[in-house]
Amino acid sequence: MDILLGIRTQNEVLLITSRSLARGISVLKSDDVKVLECNKHTALAFSGEPGDTTNFVEFIRANVRLYGFQNKQELTTHAVASYARKELATSLRSRKPYQVNILVAGHNGTPELHWIDYLGTNVTLPYAAHGYASYYVLSTLDRWWTETLTLEEGLELARKCIDELEKRMPIDFKGCNIHVVDQNGVRLHE
Amino acid sequence: MAGLSFDNYRRNKSLEASGVLPPKTTSTGTTIVGCKFNGGVILSADTRATAGMVVADKNCLKLHRLAPNIWCAGAGTASDNDKVTELESSQLEIHSQWTGRAPRVVTALTHLKQHLFKYQGHVGAYLIIAGVDVTGSHLFSLHAHGSTDVGPYLALGSGSMAALSVLESKWKEDLTKEEAMELCSEAIMAGVFNDLASGSNVDLCVIEKGKPSRLHRGYKQPNQRLQKQRNYNFDIGTTSYFEAGSEVFYISKQSDLETSAMEVDQVS
Amino acid sequence: MSNPSEINGGSAVAMIGKDCVAIACDLRLGLQSVTVSGDFEKIFQYGGNFVAFTGLATDVQTVSTELRQKHALYEMVEERSMEPNTAAHLVSSMLYSRRFAPWFVGPLVAGINSTTGEPYVCSFDSIGSMDVSHDFVVTGTATNQLYGMAESLYEKDMSPEQLFETISQTLLCAADRDAITGSGGLVYVIEKNGKVTKKLLKSRQD
Repeated sequence: MDILLGIRTQNEVLLITSRSLARGISVLKSDDVKVLECNKHTALAFSGEPGDTTNFVEFIRANVRLYGFQNKQELTTHAVASYARKELATSLRSRKPYQVNILVAGHNGTPELHWIDYLGTNVTLPYAAHGYASYYVLSTLDRWWTETLTLEEGLELARKCIDELEKRMPIDFKGCNIHVVDQNGVRLHE
Repeated sequence: MAGLSFDNYRRNKSLEASGVLPPKTTSTGTTIVGCKFNGGVILSADTRATAGMVVADKNCLKLHRLAPNIWCAGAGTASDNDKVTELESSQLEIHSQWTGRAPRVVTALTHLKQHLFKYQGHVGAYLIIAGVDVTGSHLFSLHAHGSTDVGPYLALGSGSMAALSVLESKWKEDLTKEEAMELCSEAIMAGVFNDLASGSNVDLCVIEKGKPSRLHRGYKQPNQRLQKQRNYNFDIGTTSYFEAGSEVFYISKQSDLETSAMEVDQVS
Repeated sequence: MSNPSEINGGSAVAMIGKDCVAIACDLRLGLQSVTVSGDFEKIFQYGGNFVAFTGLATDVQTVSTELRQKHALYEMVEERSMEPNTAAHLVSSMLYSRRFAPWFVGPLVAGINSTTGEPYVCSFDSIGSMDVSHDFVVTGTATNQLYGMAESLYEKDMSPEQLFETISQTLLCAADRDAITGSGGLVYVIEKNGKVTKKLLKSRQD
């Protein structure tokens, strides 16, 4: 039931993630952060099986950082996405596959957003959502998203989506974090 | 076989456990027969390939050449038949080069049955193997689990009952080549018309002592599509498309490996 | 999620014309009923060979990339371009090598043999059974609909222009009767002289 949204605007990518961390019928945390800075200009948002998620994204981050150290050349967002996809696709054929869905947001001159599911399907999209949230917000995004959104307009669109989710989702997800990935890197908005 | 990869096995097993159905494979859903005559042996097959109830190929070739003098007809899973016969023909060629002799039918049979037995029936090839060699002319059938039969006439596949009814009633000893060809094609036609998974044409192969084998592709074509009286050609310009997003380019004769620069090359 | 080949949806078709071939695919990528992307191209170019992959999207990406490696290696080692029938046999053996744990893909190969000038199309099942056709081949979740359309619309010896219309209408009309195929169409027409025309079709978006 975690919410994972990504919106690409003209100069940045927004990652909207729910703040609740629930286990069974209890909310354990209401300030959870589901976004990880992978390298300077790339962020990963993740959801899925608890345990698998952190283990997987930390593994990806560690290897992406290692690559940066060893080669004195950071992996591009596209490369990070391809790498994460390959790991998920390989994992799918193992005894216990990672059940992790991710969004890869980055900025290498231009903003870039990748949608990757646990099967290892990697697509570049202008806006993306994982899980149940997609049923509620994709229509809103289809209606309002344009190629030339400013940051303010992007945040306003994110607001529209969150409002819709608050209205329609059957559970309280304790609000959302909005991360902005732009040419200066990854930052938590507000 | 160098060894098949089982990398995806666990994944697919767990998908199956969660209610996922395995994909449909192309089946030859077939009628195949073989028949001996005085001077050689004949193989014949229909040409329909099916995937479920869909006709996947209306004119596929189910007669495979294992060696110039040894042929086989395959029923069962299409890809298994193609690959297993392809593999066997390579091995027979190597074997005959190595020994300096023309390959024998029993060699092919033994080789194939050992391979199929190893896979416990999971390689779904059901074959009729026929050929002539230094020891005479031979006709064998081979099931996917590895069992073999010998006989003067044989039929396999979903249409085998229909084919066998013809063979049982009309076969006699010391058939001439022409009689045997007629008998085989009639048996296949019985499958073509009475078994839904068999259809289209009759292919036939004659293997004779001291003569090159002859494949009659489309020996009988009783199901030709009627000539259409009119056609559905569209006027040029019927389909609308986006000018932007469309392009024209040329494939260079000599493949250009420089076209795909690595991504790091583009990043400053 | 009952059939892996029907999770993401998508279809493709290839046809032979006079001294030309065409190959077309839809652009939808879905997760069951949700359309995730409307520009997911399923046709990949390997030199002069055009290969469409339908089925489970993750496997489409894995197999198409693996084929890219093998194709590049072939051209480097052989120092010549790969002919369509070679590409088809390569695809076939890649799929059969996973006979008991298959990739959930249904590929099509289309191209023109550079020495003989013969157009070539071929389809496969998920374990590599080849179906070399002299008219048309289809694959994907709209297989049944495509067979119906192609079987009635197809004519022998079509010109590149005529072939474009026929393959496009075949795809578009088939997609109309499959809920998980559509969201746009893409057509490549490949001519004997090496000319390739890529067109992005206007289509309904439901």
